Amino acid sequence: MRGTLNRRELARLAVLGLAAAPRLREEDTPPPVRRGRVGVAPLAAPAGRAVDPVLAHRAVAAALAAATGLGNARAAVAALFRGEDTVGIKVNCLGGPNLSPRVELVSALAALLAERGIPPGRIIVFERSARELERAGFPVRRRGGPFLCVGIDNDYDREPSTSGEIGSCFARLVSTTCTALVSFGVVKDHDLAGVSAGLKNLYGLIHNPNKYHDHNCDPYLADLASHPFVRRKLRLVVLDGVVAQCHGGPAYRPDGSWPLGLVAAATDPVAADAWAWKAIDAERTRRGLPTLAEAKRPPRFLATAERYGLGVGDPAAIVEVRA
Amino acid sequence: MTAAITRRDLAVAACAGAAAALLPRPADAAPPAVGAPVPADALPAREASWYRKLPEGRVECQLCPRGCQVADAERGACGVRENRGGTYTTLVYGAACTVHVDPIEKKPFFHVLPGAPALSFATAGCNVECKFCQNWEISQFRPEQVAALWLPPEALAAAARQKGVPLLAATYSEPVVFWEYVRDAAAACRGAGVRPVVVSNGYIQERPLRDVLPSLAAVKVDLKAFSERFYREVVRGELKPVLKTIEVIRASGCWLEIVVLLIPGLNDSEAEVRALARWVKSNLGGEVPVHFTRFHPTYRLTNLPPTPLATLERSWRIANAEGLAFAYLGNVPGHPGESTSCPGCGARLIHRIGFEVLENTLKGGRCPTCGRTIPGVWA
Ligand code: SF4
Repeated sequence: MRGTLNRRELARLAVLGLAAAPRLREEDTPPPVRRGRVGVAPLAAPAGRAVDPVLAHRAVAAALAAATGLGNARAAVAALFRGEDTVGIKVNCLGGPNLSPRVELVSALAALLAERGIPPGRIIVFERSARELERAGFPVRRRGGPFLCVGIDNDYDREPSTSGEIGSCFARLVSTTCTALVSFGVVKDHDLAGVSAGLKNLYGLIHNPNKYHDHNCDPYLADLASHPFVRRKLRLVVLDGVVAQCHGGPAYRPDGSWPLGLVAAATDPVAADAWAWKAIDAERTRRGLPTLAEAKRPPRFLATAERYGLGVGDPAAIVEVRA
Repeated sequence: MTAAITRRDLAVAACAGAAAALLPRPADAAPPAVGAPVPADALPAREASWYRKLPEGRVECQLCPRGCQVADAERGACGVRENRGGTYTTLVYGAACTVHVDPIEKKPFFHVLPGAPALSFATAGCNVECKFCQNWEISQFRPEQVAALWLPPEALAAAARQKGVPLLAATYSEPVVFWEYVRDAAAACRGAGVRPVVVSNGYIQERPLRDVLPSLAAVKVDLKAFSERFYREVVRGELKPVLKTIEVIRASGCWLEIVVLLIPGLNDSEAEVRALARWVKSNLGGEVPVHFTRFHPTYRLTNLPPTPLATLERSWRIANAEGLAFAYLGNVPGHPGESTSCPGCGARLIHRIGFEVLENTLKGGRCPTCGRTIPGVWA
């Protein structure tokens, strides 16, 4: 089944005013960002993979409220998204069925966006390919259902655009279709980046991420996050930390995983990763493993991202707000 | 002249060469019919030939000097090699994204069968990222992002033979990243009376280079500059291993030509060109052809102008003055620097305009006027 929006479908969205006709709207009021703040809500790891949808909804809502300090999820979503937004939710499904964001959690976020008044056809869950989505259990579809779910596959801009060291073609979903983005990642160790959470997930927005893994992905991930498409559109990071992985990533390794039992959210994308770094290092220390810095893969890109003014990258400076 | 080989030609050639029956079987998918499109979600995975296994399912690629260490489910920097459960696999073996018949002058080789057509092929991917890449739409993409045809090595050799094309050129993107395919295509050429040549950035480790070099008729190396800084900042590679590659090729006896793309303000200073020419003279001798070619703005360097003719001519004069007998100019059609002259008596031997050979007076690889031997692959 093809899971990519074709040009005609995108054009239809644009005609209906549902896609971002101008690529970037300078006049947009920036959404509120709580620097250094990460909201977390408990969600116990189930015996199997699936979590109870009601519990999933409760956890995502609580994490959002805690991340924004706005009292409830409805207020949080209203502050972050407009009714006329087209919201792209980038999920990281590289880890396959065992280490991708759970469908129930992503569905819960989509439901909160729908409550905000965003129609299902403008909530687009996406990954690099439809195949990866299917492997992770997502229902690939281009119409119908509570949200669309599509692979980028080969639908990239024709020309590269540059930000710092990176020069890449962005998915047209990102450059053209969506007015707002959510990075929905997991909490895991990464062999080269150190941490794969919200920022590393963004490598799936560009056509050539393989070029940018040197030096623990620094400054490349920070450069990507500071590209206008990302900087102006990324509103929220949500992390499925129900089960996390402290060793052996990015592929799923049962012996490297542990039940962290949390869902995290942040409007500061750098803080979300710094929080994930802290969680991973705590578990590594508990297991007697060297820290990520000792293992020569500290997520250096976080300090660079902080220097760029994108958020707080020092794990010691993160304020974790428990729901 | 550029002529595309049709899928039909390839299918016919494959039948003639019984190629399909001899194919190596991809690890996890049956290959499509010869000449048929390679499905993006079923790339022809095949175990790589140059890597070593590391603890915990990781691997270290030993093909190019980057030496990528790759965890399970990840790819190397070239984007065409993937760790699948501890086995390093190439995803482009037999997956040709470009196939054309070009004149050999287009590569450019000026001392290899002048005027001969070359069946030229490439796959997706590259191990560096030149900001001035002319072929970035294939070199800087992963194989699932670029349409490709299933053309195993035997099919390429058979197609060349059927078309009466004497040369098979691995070119366009970067042959190093599809080195297993190059190796086997070169082997298939042997029985087909076709000569395999490679156009490369030379960024390769010594062992894979030496493994394949004896099968090749000629190699052209793009020496992108003569400074590590340029390689680091504009190419995202290193100069030193490329110089080593050039020396190994020269010492092997395989025919070698060098191309230097001169980019205004980045690698075209008099001092740099002189240092390059001196290095060639003292390490390779004066008989290796060196082509100085004109840059045109593209990819991530659209802010720079084309190389001025004066810069090209100055570089040409420097190379001649430093004792390089076969310095050429490229991308300046009609310029005398495109033609081959005898270093002994000055007689014009091969008259070229662009990729066209208008006249070739060489007799058995010698100057017809003074009898000097002109090095190259002439017959
Ligand atoms: S060939 Fe590719 S995978 Fe191997 S070292 Fe070079 S860039 Fe890395």
